[in-house]
Amino acid sequence: MLYIWFEIEFMRYKEYNVNRVAEKCMFLFWEHGFGGSPIKDIVEATGVNRFSLYHEFENKEGILYGALKLYRERYCDDKFAILEKDGRPEQLLANFYLSFLNSNNPVEGCFFIHVGTEMADSDPQIKALLKEYLHEIEKLFIELLEKHSDTKENASFLARHLIGLYCTSMSFCLIHTEEQRLSHISNGINLILNKHVDHATSP
Amino acid sequence: MPQALNKSYDELVESAQRLFWLKGYRGVSSTELASYLDVSASTIYNKYTKEMLFMDSVRYYMNNYTDPFLSQLRETTGGIESLRGFFYSLVDALLDKTFPKSCLMVNTVVEMRNENKDVIKLYDDYFNALTHSYKVVLDKSIELGQLKHPEKRDEYADFLLGVIFGLSILYKINTKEELQKFIDEQLSFIV
Repeated sequence: MLYIWFEIEFMRYKEYNVNRVAEKCMFLFWEHGFGGSPIKDIVEATGVNRFSLYHEFENKEGILYGALKLYRERYCDDKFAILEKDGRPEQLLANFYLSFLNSNNPVEGCFFIHVGTEMADSDPQIKALLKEYLHEIEKLFIELLEKHSDTKENASFLARHLIGLYCTSMSFCLIHTEEQRLSHISNGINLILNKHVDHATSP
Repeated sequence: MPQALNKSYDELVESAQRLFWLKGYRGVSSTELASYLDVSASTIYNKYTKEMLFMDSVRYYMNNYTDPFLSQLRETTGGIESLRGFFYSLVDALLDKTFPKSCLMVNTVVEMRNENKDVIKLYDDYFNALTHSYKVVLDKSIELGQLKHPEKRDEYADFLLGVIFGLSILYKINTKEELQKFIDEQLSFIV
């Protein structure tokens, strides 16, 4: 009886603990990069010894995959939900991009783009995770564009380029001031979404 | 006896630049940098700091990669077609590993964001050079009658500024054909 109680408490503790470790590591990797975070720093930041860390995550890469999973689960849903709201696509898209860059974020930008920039060339798993993440957003873009008559027909084409703009916003715009970010992002959205409108009205 | 430095500072920057390009600023420790450059740790701590070598590495990159690439672009005469060639050759350099990794300028922005004044200053120069070059090419394409809305030149230049950044991430997950199609379509937004 005591054993079963212990087991349940332990599982609860463990789940909590794994998420806590993944989140601490997310901040560490985001701030110092994966290469700039030696295992001794991970041990220090999490307070968990390396044997327990490797037991749970297998290796240092495993901790990074866990951190990405946690980022997706904990920090993206409310941003993705913006794309499902009612409203004009240009406004919702601008709000979506900017939601990664405002001060509500633990760090400005997107953790997937940050990790992908450092690691996707050398780690096939990171490449696959980055691709999957961007596909998920692309799908949401398509669903949004299909709701509106003026963007419906070219939804996949436009979504592909809005993903390009996402990558740009999560890299280029990081160095910008708030005003420059807004200006670059709105300019990009307008050029992309107005392409077919322009063509329709041009002689 | 202090260890004599048998390399000039410029030579150190040239080597350091390769390491920073592959591993970023924070991914390189001062100890690793010293051993890569084959200098004593005290040289890095007291004489040429990691930060100093990094800033000069970014400058080296601009002088040796960005500037020649951009001055070539400004000399071109094909307008939009020249821009297409410029972006295609960037994709080639990324895919065939002429560039060991995505553009150092892009990597640095993603890593350091807008928190370091020296980095921001360096980037102002980079963006000005880039914007200027795009405007020169766009003016040529206006002369050639390639743009439907010449009055939007500055908006186009701003849009193009982002393309290198987008490509520097997209090349990691897309094929050459997909990237070329992406470039063609990006250019279709401005003609």
